[in-house]
Amino acid sequence: MAGGPKCREALSLLQDYLKEEITPENAAKITEHLEKCRPCFEHLQFEKRFLEMLEHKARGQCCPDRLRARILTELRSELDSSAET
Amino acid sequence: MTDPAPGREAFEAEVIPQLDSLYRLALRLTTDPSRAEDLVQDTVLKAFRSWQRFQPGTNIRSWLFTILRNTFINDYRRRQREPIPMDLETAEPHASFRAVDDEDPEGTFFSRIVDAKVLEAIDRLPEEFREVLVLSDIENLPYAEIADVLSIPVGTVKSRLFRARRQLQEVLYDHAVEMGYIRARDRAPLKQ
Repeated sequence: MAGGPKCREALSLLQDYLKEEITPENAAKITEHLEKCRPCFEHLQFEKRFLEMLEHKARGQCCPDRLRARILTELRSELDSSAET
Repeated sequence: MTDPAPGREAFEAEVIPQLDSLYRLALRLTTDPSRAEDLVQDTVLKAFRSWQRFQPGTNIRSWLFTILRNTFINDYRRRQREPIPMDLETAEPHASFRAVDDEDPEGTFFSRIVDAKVLEAIDRLPEEFREVLVLSDIENLPYAEIADVLSIPVGTVKSRLFRARRQLQEVLYDHAVEMGYIRARDRAPLKQ
């Protein structure tokens, strides 16, 4: 049954668990709980899917080439002007 | 072997590969492509002018993100789009998951949502949630480095992230229902 104190603890740490941002002791506790608790395991899958989706869908945008070129030009003119002084 | 521009090559080698990340953060902060471009350019020039102060071996991305964010706050911030009103203190913590629990427990509906909709939902988060979410979940910066960039404790990074993700899940869930990717189900009551 989801909802016990162990489930609540696991659920509050699931995202940090997935991001590997918790102590090894807490990670071990959660892994142990997830092996026994199906609802919490499903919730883990849900959070995992969410985080993967986010990274995948929001990382598609790249710096436009014209901006890249503009920056390189600016950098070089910055150097020229500092070399003159 | 006299380089007329000492440090320029090292600077370009370190910074140019980060332009995509800088541009993405700038886009999410300004929510405007042309202002995002100006913000990235200003950031890179500022970074170049203080390149001597960068300590080799420390994280270049955190350093650049910090400059970009400070530049945004000082020179670019203006009235943001109205954030989605939501009472985050009382909202039920795992409402989206509860709502899809029976039908789609693994959240496959997330993959049906188009990229633009996800970005739009991120852009409507309050700024303090948006920046932490972008740094962690899109740019994969560790929590400790996010804490440095934003000058807040790691505990605050965690709590903001938790709320940011929850709010985003709510918005995307509602969108998925609206689009018919999943069926609406009564939300779990806020308090038992």
